[in-house]
This record gives sequence, C-alpha cells and structure tokens, in this order.
Amino acid sequence: MNIVVGFKVVPDESLIRVSEHKLLLDVPLKLNTYDKNAIEEAVSLKERNGGRAMGITVGAGDRKAIREALAMGLDEVIVVKSNDLDVYGTSMAISENVRGLSPDLIIFGEQTVDSGTTGVPGYVAELLGMPFVSNVRSFSLEGKKFVAERGMVSYSEKVEGELPAVISVGGEINTPRIPSVKQIMESSKKPVKEVNFSLETKVKIKDVKPLVVKRKRVVIKEGDMGKAVDKLIELLRSEGLL
Amino acid sequence: MKVVVFSEALQFFKMASALAQSLTEDTVGVFTQKVNFTRKLYLVDKVDEDGLVDFLSSTNFDLLVTGNVRRDRAIASRVAGRLKVGYVPDVTSIKLEGNKVSATRLAYSGIATAEVESSTPLVITVSSFPGEPKEVEAEVVRVELKEGKVRVLEVKRSSGGLSPATAQIVVGVGRGIGSKENVSYAQELASVLGGAVAGTRPVCAELGWLPEDVQVGLSGLRIRPRLYLALGVSGQPQHIAGIRDSKVVVAVNKDENAPIAENADYFVAGDAVEFCKVFTEKILKLKG
Ligand SMILES: Cc1cc2nc3c(=O)[nH]c(=O)nc-3n(C[C@H](O)[C@H](O)[C@H](O)COP(=O)(O)OP(=O)(O)OC[C@H]3O[C@@H](n4cnc5c(N)ncnc54)[C@H](O)[C@@H]3O)c2cc1C
Repeated sequence: MNIVVGFKVVPDESLIRVSEHKLLLDVPLKLNTYDKNAIEEAVSLKERNGGRAMGITVGAGDRKAIREALAMGLDEVIVVKSNDLDVYGTSMAISENVRGLSPDLIIFGEQTVDSGTTGVPGYVAELLGMPFVSNVRSFSLEGKKFVAERGMVSYSEKVEGELPAVISVGGEINTPRIPSVKQIMESSKKPVKEVNFSLETKVKIKDVKPLVVKRKRVVIKEGDMGKAVDKLIELLRSEGLL
Repeated sequence: MKVVVFSEALQFFKMASALAQSLTEDTVGVFTQKVNFTRKLYLVDKVDEDGLVDFLSSTNFDLLVTGNVRRDRAIASRVAGRLKVGYVPDVTSIKLEGNKVSATRLAYSGIATAEVESSTPLVITVSSFPGEPKEVEAEVVRVELKEGKVRVLEVKRSSGGLSPATAQIVVGVGRGIGSKENVSYAQELASVLGGAVAGTRPVCAELGWLPEDVQVGLSGLRIRPRLYLALGVSGQPQHIAGIRDSKVVVAVNKDENAPIAENADYFVAGDAVEFCKVFTEKILKLKG
C-alpha cells in the first residue's frame, strides 16, 4: 500500500507576538500541529498493512522539521521548493509530484496554523480525480474499502468508500508518537528529494495585519476565592452585566 | 456577474446571500429548503457532498459564495479544485471592481487578517457579514443530485441544548476543569446565570466532556456573547478566534502566565471548580 502524507512547516503560532501594526513572525518553525496526526495515521496504517509512507512538503524546507517527520516513520520526503503559493499553487505542486507515485491513500492535516485555509486536501483530491473525506477522526481499512468517521461540529457522520482516496484528519484521530533518539539518528539516512516548482498564484496577498481586540486585563488576586468572586461580581455589575 | 450561494446551514446561507446581494442582482441559491433570498433557487433533494460538488461546478458562476461550516468549506475547496480557480476561505468583507475581487480574510489561526486580491471566477467562504439579506421572489428549480462515490452510513446529531452561538452569557470549559464530572459545576453556573455552556476543542471533540456542537473557536463556533467566562482554558489562538467578538471576557486559570490572561478583561487566579461553586452560590444569594 502506497501512502502519501502532505505536511507543512509553519511558524509556531503560539509564539507569534504583535508590535504596533505588525505580526512578529520571526519565531521557531515546527511541523504543523494536525499534520503530525496525519503522519502518525500514515505510519500506523503502514505498520499494520505493509507498504510505504512517503511525505511531501511545499515551502519552507526546514531541515529539523523534515527530520522529525522522517523520525516518526516516513520512508522518504519530497521537498518542493517554490515561490509563495496559494491553495491553487500548493495543490498543483503536490498533485504534479504525487501523481507518478500512484498513491492508494493521501492524508493531510485538516488545517494549518498559519494560512489555515483547510483548502489544499480537497483541492488536491479534485486535481487527481480522487474521492475526498474531510475532518476524519477515525479511519479503518479492509482491503480497498474504508470506513471513516467525520466530526462536523453539529453532527458526526460515518461514511464508506474505496481507495484510492484523499482524507484530512484532525487532532482527535490519534496521538502522534514522539520519536526516540535512535529513530532521530536513523532518520538522517532516509532519502530527502528536492524538486523545484513555480507557478503564478490566482490569489495574491496584499497585506497582513494583526487582529487586536483590546481587553482590560485586570488581574483579581485575592488569597480567598470568596473575596475574588465578590470583587468580580462588583466589577461585572459596574459594567451592567449580571 | 453571476453569484452562486450555497451553505448546509440556514444561518450561513442567509449570510452568503446578503453578501451576494451586495455585489449583484444576478443571485442564484443552492439549498435544501425553499427560501427567498436569491433570484433563482436550485432546491436540492439532499446534502450529498459529491453530488453537490458536481452540481455547483456546473453552475457557471463568476463567484461562488459558501458558508463556513466544515461541510461548506470541504465543498468549496473541491469546487475550486475541480474548476482550477482561486479559493479564499473565511472572508469578512469583499469588494468588486470589474472582474477583480479584493477581500479580507482571517489568517494565522485568527490572530491576523489578510487582504487578498484575485480575479473571477473565484470561490470564497464567508465567516461573517453584516446585515440580513432582502427577501426576493425566487424562481425555484428542483434538482436531483447524483449519488456520490462516498456513501453516508450513519449520521449522529450532537445533543443540542441552549446554543452558545446565540446566548448572551456563555460559560466556556477548558481541559483545566479536570474531569467530565467537574463539567457539571460549570453547567450549574451557566444555568443560574441563564447562559449556555461551551467548550474548547479538546473538551468537546477529543475528551467528549461536552457535546461537539458547543465547540468554540477557529474550527468550531464563533460566538458573540455579552459575557464569556473561560474556565480552565489556556487561550491558544485557535480558541481566541472564536471569542473575539465577546463584549467582556472573564478568565479563571491556575496559571497567571496562561495566554488567556492577555485576552481577558478580568482574570481570576485560581481553581476553576472552586470558582464555579463559589460564584454559583453567590449568584443564588443575590437572586434571593
Ligand atoms: C488547526 C487547529 C484548529 C483548532 N481549533 C480549535 C477550536 O476551534 N477551538 C479550540 O478551543 N481549540 C482549537 N484548537 C486547539 C487549540 O490549539 C488548543 O489546543 C486548545 O484550545 C486548548 O484547549 P484547553 O484550553 O481546553 O486545554 P489546555 O491547553 O490543556 O489548557 C488547560 C488550561 O487549564 C489550566 N488549568 C489546569 N488546571 C486548572 C484548574 N484546576 N483550575 C483552573 N485552571 C486550570 C491550565 O493552566 C491551562 O491553561 C485548534 C488547533 C488547531 C491546530
């Protein structure tokens, strides 16, 4: 079984700060949060069913993050070096590079923490003419048949389909493994293939601005919860609440 | 300029229709109920995702506007991919000049907005838009969707109580509440305040301490209550994205350095359960 995982290297969003009217994006890079779940799902499917699990990443080819993906158990990673791409561009870069691998299953994290479009998995599925299931939180395979459970917020649904297919997964599907020192060491021997890609995007970013909501940031610190709550009630009443 | 509108949810269908009406007279809706917000309405018999992607892709739109629930976003991205056109999700405002579209969308997990430009044909999803759509007489055409390759075996509704989406007071529960049993203290507090309970993604989707339809945040509901109480919520950007429009935010957390502190009007340092017990008792006393 041939599994491909699409993953992205992103700035750690929990460390991004704001200065004046700018986002300070000079923060450490990491594997996108839910892409770790995608890698975990691919590796554990491979362990159960045999075959290969290959990674593909477009954009920042950060060495450390790619090593981590390999250490988690991917067999090989394709790094697509490109200009800044939109959903269309990224999806084209991925589909052109995986078509020749004839994947049975392509797994993505459902949303990135930077651009956060949720758009690439479905877009790639269409470019490759494969069925698509988003927001998968449990996945099981029997031969070519799969059953997936999707969390849709106001309801959940169980669906059935056949490989080849594309799915996107969230944090609920599994707990990503933390690679051992040995696995990290060994990952340096695994193949990383770099390819170049460039394409004019359809959507162009003109400006990015921080979205700041001013809050009062009053800290209520009383040794005793009773006193703290009294104070809070007083403050909320003065705001016309309660 | 032909604008086609779709959402799985009525609230978002109306929002997308209002946006469409602000751009053109030539509005076309695709929906499961007979509603009068577009000049033409394709009344579909079911929400088959593959079938909808086929149908929407064939409508010859200049702009496709969908809502922002997970189903809408999946469909929107697929239609864009099928037609190889641009895709912009999470739009909060839009301008049109000829075939040039400028839009504002959320970025970086909700801590920023991005101004983007594109040309039609284009697919967008709308996450907020002011005002209600005008009622217009719709010419109704019934459509039988094709069956897709992916078959739905079972659908389970999340259990609906008072929705945090519309409540004036919302008590939000994070992992710091400690256990499923402890959530009842937050529920009690919400009920004496006449409000609704909500939860973070781990609490709703992973741990199942609360139903999934009360998940607040970037990938859940975006709420706008007068008062939001965040109890044992760390305040990661993805959660904050859902509570930005709250008038007043109160946070209760053991950790004074938790990011929620920066995003709160009032921060109480302490245990979430103890806070619930004390607050509930005091409110009951006040009410007499
Ligand atoms: C693409 C993406 C989308 C996401 N979408 C969402 C979303 O829509 N909504 C959402 O909520 N999250 C979302 N998340 C997850 C988000 O990043 C955080 O992981 C999540 O919000 C954290 O939940 P939490 O605050 O309940 O738990 P934690 O981060 O574990 O925080 C628990 C907090 O409780 C405090 N605490 C512990 N014990 C106590 C006590 N006894 N009393 C008081 N406080 C205590 C701790 O100090 C801590 O601050 C998303 C993540 C990604 C990557």
